Amino acid sequence: MNNESLYQFSTLTVILLMLAFYGGTYLLTLGIRKKKEDADAFMVSNHRVGFGIGSASMTATWIWAASFYAAASSGYTYGVSGPIHYGLWGALMILFIYPFGRRFRKLAPNAHTLGELIHARHGASSQLILALSNVLGSVISLMVNFTAAGALVSVLSPLSFQAGVIIAGVGVLLYTLWSGFRASVMTDFAQLIALMAIAVVIIPAVFFAMGGPTELVAGLDNLSAEQANFFSVDAILNQGAPFFVAVLAYAIGNQTISQRLFAVNEDHIKPTFITATVGYGAIVIGLGMIGLMALTLGIEPLNGDMNNLIPQMVSGYLPPLFIALFFILVIGSLSSTADSDLSALSAIMMADVYGKNIAKGKADPQRMLLVGRLTMIIATVVGIVFASFSLDILVMLVFVGALWGAIVFPVIASCFWNRITNAAFTTSVIVAMVMFCLARFEWLPLDGATGLLFELLASIGGGVIIGLMTFGFLGRVAGFIAGILALVAMLVFATDFLRDYTVLLASLTAYGTSTLVCVVMSLASRQERFDFDSIRERVGNYDDQPTDADPSATEHQPASASLAAQH
Amino acid sequence: MTTLFALYVLIWPALTLGVLVLICRAVLRDRREAQKEQRELV
Repeated sequence: MNNESLYQFSTLTVILLMLAFYGGTYLLTLGIRKKKEDADAFMVSNHRVGFGIGSASMTATWIWAASFYAAASSGYTYGVSGPIHYGLWGALMILFIYPFGRRFRKLAPNAHTLGELIHARHGASSQLILALSNVLGSVISLMVNFTAAGALVSVLSPLSFQAGVIIAGVGVLLYTLWSGFRASVMTDFAQLIALMAIAVVIIPAVFFAMGGPTELVAGLDNLSAEQANFFSVDAILNQGAPFFVAVLAYAIGNQTISQRLFAVNEDHIKPTFITATVGYGAIVIGLGMIGLMALTLGIEPLNGDMNNLIPQMVSGYLPPLFIALFFILVIGSLSSTADSDLSALSAIMMADVYGKNIAKGKADPQRMLLVGRLTMIIATVVGIVFASFSLDILVMLVFVGALWGAIVFPVIASCFWNRITNAAFTTSVIVAMVMFCLARFEWLPLDGATGLLFELLASIGGGVIIGLMTFGFLGRVAGFIAGILALVAMLVFATDFLRDYTVLLASLTAYGTSTLVCVVMSLASRQERFDFDSIRERVGNYDDQPTDADPSATEHQPASASLAAQH
Repeated sequence: MTTLFALYVLIWPALTLGVLVLICRAVLRDRREAQKEQRELV
C-alpha cells in the first residue's frame, strides 16, 4: 500500500539506498572473512569479544524495527509516561539477565547456546524444549523484521511490499552467510553507530521543527487526564505490567542474548550488559517521544495505523535528507536483529540439534558449518515467505510467550539448585503450558473455585518473578523475602480481580505452575545431587575435538571432548 | 514546565550520544588490544 500523504522516494532512490546499506555492510564483512571459517567462531566468535563491540552488538540486536513503532505508539496512546513504559522494561530485559548470565558463563565458559548448558545439566528433552522456544522466537522475529522492511519500502516509495521483504531478506543473508556470528557482531557495531547518530539528530530535529518545548507544553491540553499523568495507572496496567512480566521470559527465551553472553570476554559481561541497557533505553524512549509529540499536536495516524506515526512526523516536519536518514535507521535496526536471528538459529541447529542430538558429541566442525549455513538459507526463505503472505502470527506469538514464561524458573533453578531433575524440568513446562492454555483461551470458566485456583497459581507466578529478579542482584535470602512479600501482596490484591485480565492471569499462571511442579517433583525425587562442575567438562569447543575423520587425535583427546562424547 | 519538558524529551538523545561516544572509544581500545595480542577483533 503506497501512501501519497507521506514523502515519496523514487524507486531508483530507494534501491540505491538499500544497495548502499547492504553493499556497504557486505564489504565490511569481507574484512573479517576467512577462507576456512571454524565452527566455534561461526557461533560465538572467540569467546573474547571486547566490551565495545559486545555492547554495540547487544544493543543493536535488541533494537528491532518494532521498537521504534511500538514506543511511538505507546507515547501516542498513553501520553507522557508511554515511551518510558515501553523502553524502560525492554531495557531491563537486558539488565536482568546479566546476573544469571554470569552464572551461565561460569558453569559453561565454552558454551555456544544456553541449550548446551541445559543438555549437560539434564539431557535431551529439557534442552530441546529450550531450543524449540528459541527457534520459534527467532523465526517470528525474522518475519516481523522482514515485514517491517516491506512496510517501510511500500509506504515511502512506489516499490511493492514484497520487493522490500525480498531485498531485506537477501541483503541480510548475503552478509551473514559466510562468517555467521562474527559477521553479525561486526556489522552490528557499524549499524548501531549509524542508528545512534541518526537518532541523536532526528529526535531534536523533529522536536524543534514542530515548535519546541513551548508548543509541546501548549499541546498538553490535547491530552486526557490519564495521558498527562506521569504515573498513569492505565499506562502501568496496560503497557508496563505485561512488559514487566515478560522481562525475564524474553531474556531467557532469546538465543541472540545467550549467544552474545557466551561470546563476550568474561571480565566484560557486566559493563557490556549495563551499557546495552542504557543504550537501548535511550534510543527507544527517545524515538517514543515522537509519538508523544504527535499526540500533543493532535495529529491522527494515517489510515489509523500507528506504525505511520514516526514516518508521518519525519515526513511532515523535516526535509528529504532526514527522511532518507530515517529510512536507514529503520533498515539498520531491522537488519541488525535479523542477522542476529540468523546467527542464533544456525547456532541452535549446529550445537543443540546436530552437535548434541545427531552427532552425539562427535560432531564434525565442517559439517556443522554446512548445517549452520543451510539453516540460515532455509530460515531466510521461511521468513520471506511468512512475511510476504502477511500470515497471522498472533497464536504462535501467544504460545511462544507462554513457553518462554514456563521455562524461566526451570532454567534458572537448574543452574543454581542441584536437586532439579530432568523429569521435573520437562513435566513442569508441559503442565504449565496446559494450564496457560486453559486460562488464556478460557477453556475452563474462570469463576468460583476454578478462578480462585488460577489466581493462586498466578500469585505464585508473581512471587516467582519478583523473587528471581531480586535473587539475581541481591542473593538468595533477599530473593526469598521479596518473592514471599510479592506472593502475599498478589494474594491480597489479585484474588477475585485478576480473572478479569486473562492475558496477565495466563502469563503469570505459566510462571507459577512451572515453578510449583518443578519444585515439588525435585523435592520428591531421590535422584543423586547434581555436580555443577561436570557441566564445564561436558560443554566444550567443537573445533578442538577429534572427529572420526581424525583418529590419530584420539590419543590426545581432551577430557572435555571425551565426556561430551559419552554424554 | 517548559524547561522540564524540554529536558524530558532531549535527555534521551543526549544519553544516546554519551553511549555512542563510550562505545566508539571502547571499540578503538578493543582494536588496539587485539592488534597488540595479534588476534582478530571478532
